[in-house]
Amino acid sequence: MRNKPKIVWLQALTCNGNTQSFLSSNHARFEDFLNAFELVYHPSLTHNISLEDVLTSDFLIDFLLIEGAISSNTLFFSLNNESAKNILQQLAKRSLYIVSVGSCASYGGIHAKFEKNSDIHGVEKSLENIKCLSAHKIINLTGCPVHPEWILQTLFTLKSKGTIVLDEKNRPVELYSPLAHHGCVRNEYFEWKVEAHTFGLKEGCLFYDQGCRGPMTHSSCNKILWNDISSKTRVGMPCIGCTEFDFPRENLFETKKNIGIPAEVPLGISKRAYLSLTGVAKTFKIERLNKKIIDENS
Amino acid sequence: MKTVDIIERIEGEAKLHLTWKNKRVEEAQIAFLNFRGFEYILQNKPILDALVYTPRICGICGQAHLYATVSAIENIYTQAKMPLEITPKAKSLRELGLIIEILQSHIKWFYMFIMPDMNQHSSLFDEKFVPLKGKSWLKAQEASSNIIKALATFAGQWPHTSYMIPGGVVSDPTHMDMIFVENYIDKTIVYFEEEIVGLSLEKYLSFSSYKDLGFINADLKLFIEMSFEQGFENIGKSYNRFLSISDDLGFVQGKIKHKNVMKINLNKIEENADFTFDAEITKQKKEKYTWSKNVKYDQQFYETGPLARALIQNRKFIKAIHKKYSDSVFTRVMARMDEIAFLLQKSKTILGSITISEASFIEPKLQLKQLDSGFGVGVIEATRGSLKHEVVIKNGIIQRYDVITPTVWNLGSGTALEYGVAQKAIIGTKSLHEATIVLRSFDVCSVCTTH
Repeated sequence: MRNKPKIVWLQALTCNGNTQSFLSSNHARFEDFLNAFELVYHPSLTHNISLEDVLTSDFLIDFLLIEGAISSNTLFFSLNNESAKNILQQLAKRSLYIVSVGSCASYGGIHAKFEKNSDIHGVEKSLENIKCLSAHKIINLTGCPVHPEWILQTLFTLKSKGTIVLDEKNRPVELYSPLAHHGCVRNEYFEWKVEAHTFGLKEGCLFYDQGCRGPMTHSSCNKILWNDISSKTRVGMPCIGCTEFDFPRENLFETKKNIGIPAEVPLGISKRAYLSLTGVAKTFKIERLNKKIIDENS
Repeated sequence: MKTVDIIERIEGEAKLHLTWKNKRVEEAQIAFLNFRGFEYILQNKPILDALVYTPRICGICGQAHLYATVSAIENIYTQAKMPLEITPKAKSLRELGLIIEILQSHIKWFYMFIMPDMNQHSSLFDEKFVPLKGKSWLKAQEASSNIIKALATFAGQWPHTSYMIPGGVVSDPTHMDMIFVENYIDKTIVYFEEEIVGLSLEKYLSFSSYKDLGFINADLKLFIEMSFEQGFENIGKSYNRFLSISDDLGFVQGKIKHKNVMKINLNKIEENADFTFDAEITKQKKEKYTWSKNVKYDQQFYETGPLARALIQNRKFIKAIHKKYSDSVFTRVMARMDEIAFLLQKSKTILGSITISEASFIEPKLQLKQLDSGFGVGVIEATRGSLKHEVVIKNGIIQRYDVITPTVWNLGSGTALEYGVAQKAIIGTKSLHEATIVLRSFDVCSVCTTH
């Protein structure tokens, strides 16, 4: 690939959260990005170039990044007087690689829940078999939002290797094979089945009552930390499963249970195995795990 | 002559329809053509799920939406005569989160949204403001991504965390966590001092006369010079009426209609959809041209945002600038930048007041699904101004959810008899550049405007 691959970033039905996430990159990494790629067009960041300019020119787009869900309905959504779908299709034909940035671009996400507009989909479906020039599969970077480092590592890998290994949902395997659970600082509580009694605690696992989907969600949120600092589950917010195609599910802050047992068990673990282990773990009352980590009132 | 231009770099796009007479704008329409239907999406969802949905109305002010939602839900409890107890620590962590979000947004707005245009049209053009390349642009990315680290320390991530929940916050930070937060606030103070005003924060905060503008150095000095060069102290004036909806973060709830600050009554806030498309998309009337609604207080348009907040809470420097240059582009920009200083100082006060041993969360005794019906209102001052959420629930399920965003106050479509705030401010401008800068001075957020 040429020295500085050209990037066009298209925004469709979006909250701009992925742009904000991208801008929140570690500064040194953001500079790495600017040194290695040419961001030719981004609706919020580039100056003196409009979407119309991009559409009327014919330069080769190395990476077409799409943020937001796609619709053909111009009554609800138009860009440059055209439908998002129409624009996507035009740009896709002159792009080497296509990357869906975020859950909305990947499969419609939260925006697809707006039922009055019946045509809201992800990029892949909206392209209707139009292929990018490299014929590489469309790359889905799910997440609401996507971690900026996931975008950077995908782009740098494609720049260097020309291809990236994807899972069955076309997400990069390396980024989406871990579970959100992996690396969570509450793992020991999960091992010994010590639940968080309520919100607002350093102690306890959020899987049992607070609806945490960490053990069922593919993401590297606890491997590549957010804003270089932390993650939702680390601070005490349940994982809401925003990298999976069924996001957003219902009742995000409670665990669905049948006779006191979580209705869903960790991925790939049989219910029998899970229950056996739970039964054993629960017979032990481990004092250290039932105490405050730091007792401010002592 | 009529012109239609698509304006980008406003968190989405808008279409600016201008009618020109004698080389001046005589009529202006701002059309927001994109609608995502969040109020519809929220219908029939469990009420607590709104904590995940509403931040996604906007990727840049999601914490304000989260805070408004949590306030509206807590107000359901209050109205049902079962008010929740929120510890001072939990309230402080919420306020800090919102302050950090506002700080990063103001920094980005100045360098990414308004300075590139000001710079390009100035004889003082400086490479450092060029997007993606200039030193100041890059430092703004660095500063905004740094301050967000402070937020992530107790909120897990940004954007799109839902760390505020009815009863408090989900996190329980340690002393060291809060010292770390303070380190990043201090780093941002140094950034403000060195890059934005070229003065100590203390000295800047002592300003009380418009003559003090002359002491400002660094990037804000360049803005001031470019702004006077292009006459923006006389451009962009609107109704000169201001409203601020909440007392949080040290702001003051109230309005200024003529000169004095008066109390407001939230029941006098009313939305109107004269020119707003109908979501039943097939039956549009021909006068409909935008997805944005209007909102009025006591049947009049009011400007909200940093300028309104500064005047209503009586911040001396901005009051003096406003007295001299009225509600011009110049005053609006200065108010937004001045708010960075105010909020940095405020965040230090909040940090100093936190008692770590307090509870982060006190569990509500009653779950909302146990309540037959409920109604709640949450009001917050967000980055761009006054934000109001209103919700009706039945057995814990959302029946109706209404959101009035700051940009609806400022960028509404106007009524048949009266222009909206930004519309009025644009009328009389002499070029598309001027009109665009006036529009930008309100810190337009297209995604929030129509939501």
